[in-house]
Amino acid sequence: MTFFLWTSIFSQNEIAFGYSKSQMMAYVFSVLIISTFVIAAPSNDNIGGEISNGDLSNYLLKPVNYLKYWLTRDWASKLLNMMFAVGEIGILFIIFRPQLSFTSSPVLLLLGVIACILASLIYYLITKLAVMVSFWMPENTWGLMFLFLVFFEILSGTLFPLDVLPSWGLNLLQFTPFPYMVYFPIEILIGKFGVIETMRILLFSLAWLVVSYFWVNKMWKAGLKTYSAAGR
Amino acid sequence: MNLPMVMIFFVSKLLRYGLFLVFLFLLMNGVKNLGGYTREQIIIFYLIFNIIDTLGQLLFREVYYFRPLVISGNFDMVLTKPFNPLIRVLLGGPDLMDTGVFVILIGMLVYTLSNFVRLDSFLIFYFVLMIINSLLITAAFHISVLAIGILTLSVDHLIMIYRDLSSLMRIPVDIFTNPLRTLLTFIIPIGIMFTFPAKVLFGLLSWQLILISFLFGVVSLFLSLKFWNYSLRQYQSASS
Repeated sequence: MTFFLWTSIFSQNEIAFGYSKSQMMAYVFSVLIISTFVIAAPSNDNIGGEISNGDLSNYLLKPVNYLKYWLTRDWASKLLNMMFAVGEIGILFIIFRPQLSFTSSPVLLLLGVIACILASLIYYLITKLAVMVSFWMPENTWGLMFLFLVFFEILSGTLFPLDVLPSWGLNLLQFTPFPYMVYFPIEILIGKFGVIETMRILLFSLAWLVVSYFWVNKMWKAGLKTYSAAGR
Repeated sequence: MNLPMVMIFFVSKLLRYGLFLVFLFLLMNGVKNLGGYTREQIIIFYLIFNIIDTLGQLLFREVYYFRPLVISGNFDMVLTKPFNPLIRVLLGGPDLMDTGVFVILIGMLVYTLSNFVRLDSFLIFYFVLMIINSLLITAAFHISVLAIGILTLSVDHLIMIYRDLSSLMRIPVDIFTNPLRTLLTFIIPIGIMFTFPAKVLFGLLSWQLILISFLFGVVSLFLSLKFWNYSLRQYQSASS
């Protein structure tokens, strides 16, 4: 949808919202890949259920860290999804032949990849915060997750680059984790930022990672204290 | 489902619509028009898309629970009762949570139309007809999903494909280039479902196209019913 939306806009404008057509197409195609990499997470569909039906007990008895176990499964799923996504996007690329424009700097490319990995970890931790509500409300494993996904869809930059927003809106969003999960990693890759600005973004990403990790640990410990293996 | 969770889903849905509307506003402030449509027209397209989409979810929610019914063998119980099984599995569990969202969307549409579109009773009549036609096609989609569900036990993925495809219509079908536009209008008729009712309001649809879209609605419903009857004959009650 976004591809055709922007194609329509660029049929009348050379530059729109500070983007050339090739930059915008690079953004739209990058969203397809990056969002697959960040979002694919079977843990979100399973952890809530495992807590509420008591299956979590099976894992607690084993010498594995439950959250790390799901992180590895998520990453396996991401790699699988990426393989399909690259194929699908390749077909779209052959059909539409868009002109794409990415950064030519190897340093920025590397930093962009690091930003993507951080984005994926932040997404994992924040979604775990949402599903851990099942410790306290076992009959509702999806409510907060749904709310998070609604915010994520618009505020992460999945639908549109966030600098379409008024500058105060983007400034405000920088204090939330959302733009660090899709928008900033892509902007780095398409060469919208220099090295210094990119380093600042990575620092913020790292800060969000630490904050989310802290809260996930806190919630996990608090949740385990309430967990009674109900349903087993 | 308890009240806090109902409220979370309710608020989340409103937020989703609201945030996308904000995006459309910002987008349309930056460009003169989109595919030849003004800002107000794009907003009306989006509101009508959501009304039809919400109505579909409100009425046909039970389809989402059809797979467990079949694989558990409980579908046999539905078949043995003296009540049309299709109505039971298609309309048996309306999602009343969507009613509030639906009412709010209708209110927003009425407000927008009364301020930005000059309507007459003919346009309103055609609009209501096109909405009914959209519901016929939506019903046909869902009946086909149920029929495939009996044959293959796959329901969830088909529903996800339907939802992904229909979400393309948050913007008018005219913005897509050919051959995709034709495909989305006449082959997978989501263009007729979601875009044609708004086009009728703007006086952009000829009577021939209105007639063709009605034919599409009626024929697709007829074919989906045939398909349902065929799949029922193939049902082997293997899970019981």
